[in-house]
Amino acid sequence: MIPYDTLIIIALCGLIHASFQLSVSMLTLLSGHAIGAGRRQRTLMALTHSFTWGALTMTTLLVATAAYLATTWWGTRVPSGAWAAICGVLGGLGLAVWAFYYRRSPGTTLWLPRGAASFLSRRAKATDNAAEAFSLGLVSVLSELLFVIGPVTAAALSMITLTPGWQMIALGLYAITATSSLIIVNALIGSGHKISHIQAWREHNKQFLQFIAGAALVVLAIYLYSDVAAASIGVS
Amino acid sequence: MAPLIDVIKRGGRPSEAFDRTKLHRSIVAACLSVRTPHGQADDIAARACDGVVLWLVDRPQITSADLRRKAADSLHAHHPEAAYLYRHHTMII
Repeated sequence: MIPYDTLIIIALCGLIHASFQLSVSMLTLLSGHAIGAGRRQRTLMALTHSFTWGALTMTTLLVATAAYLATTWWGTRVPSGAWAAICGVLGGLGLAVWAFYYRRSPGTTLWLPRGAASFLSRRAKATDNAAEAFSLGLVSVLSELLFVIGPVTAAALSMITLTPGWQMIALGLYAITATSSLIIVNALIGSGHKISHIQAWREHNKQFLQFIAGAALVVLAIYLYSDVAAASIGVS
Repeated sequence: MAPLIDVIKRGGRPSEAFDRTKLHRSIVAACLSVRTPHGQADDIAARACDGVVLWLVDRPQITSADLRRKAADSLHAHHPEAAYLYRHHTMII
């Protein structure tokens, strides 16, 4: 039997993860510098593909680690208290996203401390081979851990209730959905779209993206809480 | 000989003399980033630099933010998309 409800929750967690913009900003910056430095299309694609693979790898590792830790602590039955805690974290993150995910300034500047942002910008500018781009992709996901920890943990807790075969499918589903925004930007760059168009679209729609990400986190928190509450009183 | 113009950098970094070649290079990079051909990028950068140099004539000291803003304004007349990227380059992350 296909566990549709769990897979839908995991896909929603992945889409929320995808709505966080640090990795997309770094990919935009990386490709802008690579094109500006006159690199060939083949080199550009090697850099952007490696960056995307790096982000995909780190996302997979994070969810797998969270699922492993949860299984070690609780087996395949997650206590209601843990679900309640993660619902609180998701709700809090939703409010935090609404409050300060983007800075109130032009462009798409994020909540990151300015020192960290300039370090990441410098690294994106200095990246000129696939291995560095892969590492940058890994770092881009870690740098946004403060926000992605919510959807990653919710997905991991949902995942461990599945059978091992479905757990692998769920892991792949989360990794793909969470990286979907990067895959789309990567495809746009590869097909010759201008970085300025991509950045202008992101800037014009940043408040909408911020609202959607926050709302999705709050909705997910409410849904999971209702689900746990229903299960605890025996309503299926 | 061109007059020496002091460019004050952000974050307490030491100031440096205005360097037209450096400005030209950064504008060419912005033009190339929006997939403008090399020759055209070079030509546009030269014209944008002319605009900035004209503005600098009676200014012995400027900040790097002023220089970026003025260069983006000057570039906007020749290539609005490149100017957008040039202006927003530090506002992406």
